[in-house]
Amino acid sequence: MNPAADGAHQADEKSLDTMRKFAQTYAQRSGTYFCSDLGTTAVVLEGLAKHKEDLGAPLCPCRFYEDKEAEVKSTYWNCPCVPMRERHECHCMLFLTEDNPFAGDKQEISVAEIRAETNKY
Amino acid sequence: MAEGSKLVLDVTDDTFKEKVIDCDVPVLVDFWAPWCGPCRMVGPVVAEIAEQYEGQIQVFKVNTDENPQVASQYGIRSIPTLMIFKGGQRVDMVVGAVPKTTLATTLEKYLSA
Repeated sequence: MNPAADGAHQADEKSLDTMRKFAQTYAQRSGTYFCSDLGTTAVVLEGLAKHKEDLGAPLCPCRFYEDKEAEVKSTYWNCPCVPMRERHECHCMLFLTEDNPFAGDKQEISVAEIRAETNKY
Repeated sequence: MAEGSKLVLDVTDDTFKEKVIDCDVPVLVDFWAPWCGPCRMVGPVVAEIAEQYEGQIQVFKVNTDENPQVASQYGIRSIPTLMIFKGGQRVDMVVGAVPKTTLATTLEKYLSA
């Protein structure tokens, strides 16, 4: 755990790399793209990896939960969440359909690119 | 979210009543969380709004991880959620990363009346 500037903690590099690989594969398989601003992608991947480490599942970091442990068990918001799997809707902007104005043309991101962004926080 | 604007101050579970509910002017509150991608996009928009409407409104941000009481009280689900308060009441909200014009239009409704 590396404390960053505003107290947000990063995940281990190993968890981050696992999450990164999952996201790359899932983007390809679902025909979706990362955000044209890869900093957004980086932040979300860090959050997912951190939740995987702390809670045992990559709970969506773009929701507020009364009880994170209970949410993990219910699985609805574990990435890829139900809205993503059923309708290709990712309000976290990790997986964007081609027609989304924020979609870029990449389905790949490196650990270095992720950390270049998340080291700022 | 993390990028600081002097006009967008942190509010907490403890200070929410004093800073938001008891405020004499309309208040915009940005409910955010660490490692939330769209929060990172909406942060600068909120900062621009705070500058544009300086003197007319107050703008605060709430880290929902650190302030679960107020997040829970207002039924926050999707993050970011931007809420507008007037006279101690929640009067409107916008969910997700929205363009500045959308936020400005929503806010304008509560400035004149």
